[in-house]
Amino acid sequence: MEVRREAVFAATNEEVWAALTEPGRLADWFANEVELDLRPGGAGVFRWSDGSTRIAEVDAVEEGERFAFRWRDETGGEETRVELVLAAVEDGTRVTVREQAPAGIQATALAGEWSWGVQLLASLPRLRLPARAA
Amino acid sequence: VSDDGPGAVFHALADGNRRRLVGFLAERESATATELAAELPVTRQAVAKHLGELRAAGLVEGERLGRETRYRLTPAPLSDAARWLGDVGAVWDERLFALRRHLERRA
Repeated sequence: MEVRREAVFAATNEEVWAALTEPGRLADWFANEVELDLRPGGAGVFRWSDGSTRIAEVDAVEEGERFAFRWRDETGGEETRVELVLAAVEDGTRVTVREQAPAGIQATALAGEWSWGVQLLASLPRLRLPARAA
Repeated sequence: VSDDGPGAVFHALADGNRRRLVGFLAERESATATELAAELPVTRQAVAKHLGELRAAGLVEGERLGRETRYRLTPAPLSDAARWLGDVGAVWDERLFALRRHLERRA
């Protein structure tokens, strides 16, 4: 189970890679304060002005191609895996973001079956879901 | 619902027969394993096993009435899975929008 997003930016691969991985650049769009040791095993800290902080550990750095990390809220909670993949396309650079749910084993086993999951979730209103318990 | 709720839910729903069981239960107030087995090309024992998995994922609950257990859908965990997808997806939409503006400012 994962969230997946894709977007094409009218910028070079080098420019997008820098925006995604340099702390000074990330602090301009991603979070308010960013520390990032950009190498496998390196630590990252993202702080937002609302007081929230996420702690990351870098998994993969393939310059200009792929940046992957795991992160979680500073106060605890589930760790999730994030992967950013860059690809050169006609109009610029395509970025594909995936964020996986923490139960990694199930998520991997189900990756190929995700399409039915979307359909199932899309059909939920017909099941008259009860409101989430407070 | 525990933190790994969405993962457990998706595991439970990875099987076609279990998804069909969810579908049948969605159309009824409740059903027994025997009634559900009549709808599927599997044995009552297999249905009971699938119901056990759905129950473990919090998707189904059983109530014992006399000699039978009647099962009904408790789809709150599904809404947790949907919520996780919606929340995390919305945040990435915002981030990608912010990245676009960031890149445009520098262009």
